[in-house]
Amino acid sequence: MRVLVIVPAYNEARNLPALEVQLRAVAADYDVCVVDDGSSDDTAKVAAELGLFVLRCPLNLGIGGAVQTGYLWARERGYDAAVQVDGDGQHHPEDIAAVLGPIRRGEASVVIGSRFLSAGGFQSTAVRRAGIRYLCWFLRLRCGARVTDPTSGFRAADKSAIDLFARSYPSDYPEPEAIAIAIRRGLRIAEVPVHMVDRAYGVSSITPWRTLYYLVKVSLALLMLPLRRMHARREPEQA
Amino acid sequence: MSHPQILPREFQVLAVLVLLAFLAWLIRLVRSQKVTLRDSLLWVLSTVALVVITIFPSLLLRLARALEIQVPSNALFGASILYLAVNLLSATIANSVNAANQRRLVQECALLRGELESLRRDFAGRARTAASGEPSKPPART
Repeated sequence: MRVLVIVPAYNEARNLPALEVQLRAVAADYDVCVVDDGSSDDTAKVAAELGLFVLRCPLNLGIGGAVQTGYLWARERGYDAAVQVDGDGQHHPEDIAAVLGPIRRGEASVVIGSRFLSAGGFQSTAVRRAGIRYLCWFLRLRCGARVTDPTSGFRAADKSAIDLFARSYPSDYPEPEAIAIAIRRGLRIAEVPVHMVDRAYGVSSITPWRTLYYLVKVSLALLMLPLRRMHARREPEQA
Repeated sequence: MSHPQILPREFQVLAVLVLLAFLAWLIRLVRSQKVTLRDSLLWVLSTVALVVITIFPSLLLRLARALEIQVPSNALFGASILYLAVNLLSATIANSVNAANQRRLVQECALLRGELESLRRDFAGRARTAASGEPSKPPART
């Protein structure tokens, strides 16, 4: 099975070297592709010096657009599976095998690495955990998804999910919505426990106000799903 | 046809002049290709409609009566707000479509850069093996 590891990176030049060391330990099994999302620092240069393959977006697209760039590459190169791993060092590459497990066994098309299924590690703040619980509830209400960590950016996709995400992927705060889109398409979702750590350098893009905006935006997106699905169906297949 | 009790003649003249100037500006923008004809269509049509209403305010009066609006000028405000909202929404739609197109183009650009990069690597690899006299291997996949 050919697997592509997608690493979306926006101004992560300082976090990439540590990630590369961890990736190298498992790199024999996977191809790695860093998506430089129009960074203003040396992200692309650092990644290239580390010998990582880089997809450079000339403009900043936001996390959704960057991740989708990775899925487009995976589709074009005919990969059997893709794994998203954040470039900020939050995710451990040694968990990649675990996240791929359900896909290898044919049990699911999309696998989410959940920090809440494993004990310890970075569990985020109380406010954010409350927000995450609300998102879980809303996702279950809206499309019957039973997930514990809908905002996790550590996830794997099989070929059918790569096709779907290459065609339609939400732009900002895309994680919960992407789950809903996948379920709407009849893809099976699974969750596996992973260990997360707080980022080493730089600040998270998510502040209290942004958390509120996040919840409102994602709620609206989940409410409007059926319309988006029609839109996606009308969209012509891109070569 | 004019109803001085609705719109004073001075105001009518001024409003028509302003609207015509606006229309002239629009037409200039289209002719100098700063705005496409398609995008200007809604603006032109709705501005022409405003000119007609300003010249024949009885239309406004009839609208106000039909909607049971007590003060006819409120019908004018209502119509203006609708005019702005519709034009703004059409601009928002155009903006969203552009953003989606731009995202797609940026991604295509990233993919092409990636393709180029992997071709360069293959090429450098083959040049090296050719220089060392070994038979060239098929390119490694990225």
